[in-house]
Amino acid sequence: MTDPDFRDAFHRHKDVLYRFAYRMTGSGAAAEDTVQDTFLVLWRRPEAYDPGRGALRAFLLGIARNLLLKRARDERSYDPLVDESSICPPIDVVGLERAQIVARAIQALPPLQREAVILAEYEEMTLEEIARATEAEIAAVKSRLHRARENLRRMLAPLLEKKGTFYGTK
Amino acid sequence: MEPNDDPQLRKLLREWEVSGAPPSLDERVLGRRRPWWQFLFTGYIRVPVPLGVAMTVALVVLAVYFVRDRARTPIAPPGKTVSLTEFRPVDNVNVRIIRSGYESH
Repeated sequence: MTDPDFRDAFHRHKDVLYRFAYRMTGSGAAAEDTVQDTFLVLWRRPEAYDPGRGALRAFLLGIARNLLLKRARDERSYDPLVDESSICPPIDVVGLERAQIVARAIQALPPLQREAVILAEYEEMTLEEIARATEAEIAAVKSRLHRARENLRRMLAPLLEKKGTFYGTK
Repeated sequence: MEPNDDPQLRKLLREWEVSGAPPSLDERVLGRRRPWWQFLFTGYIRVPVPLGVAMTVALVVLAVYFVRDRARTPIAPPGKTVSLTEFRPVDNVNVRIIRSGYESH
């Protein structure tokens, strides 16, 4: 990879990587570190990217995602990354802005559900792209998205209009 | 994208906006790249503990073996030995002294 190619890749993908890392961690500093480390991997091992296996964006998101999960494991090794049965209780919304409440709800999701919902809802990636970036089967991504949305509806129930469905805790 | 059949939830989620990467990131990523050979002077590698311990033990064993081997080796003899078995002292020693003054004549 030549220097202009690298610069071009950086300018095209830095924002999506930063937003993803920020939403995953809730920290600007951690997001910056993650983006820097992601591009460092690309700079040192450009041959790891195979254009035949998908877009560069999915490849870079995959690297960032692995770095973030490693960070999560190092910091909170007692929390399981895969927690399909996790049920998140409603958030106490008193005194918080709506955006803060949403941020808290996203942060409260288990990591694999969180990454799926961030990539789908905020980065508008397809199931195939998410599956490629997260090295998962499409069915698994679908399942994580479904559970993430269920959890979000439950947590954000106070902000959502009632439609005949009760999203309270069990 | 996976269709989200709950537009209300989608609208609510979109209220959490995150701005793009800060300008400081440009310098961190684009400014800190160095030629590969600088890694030889400033880089570092992570070595797994078992491998590190094994390498240290191997180095210590090699060092001890080298030192003991050198201590055991006798001092090297001169390249050519001289035997005195055939040595016979001369009977009459007739010493002739030549002074430097004769040389001028």
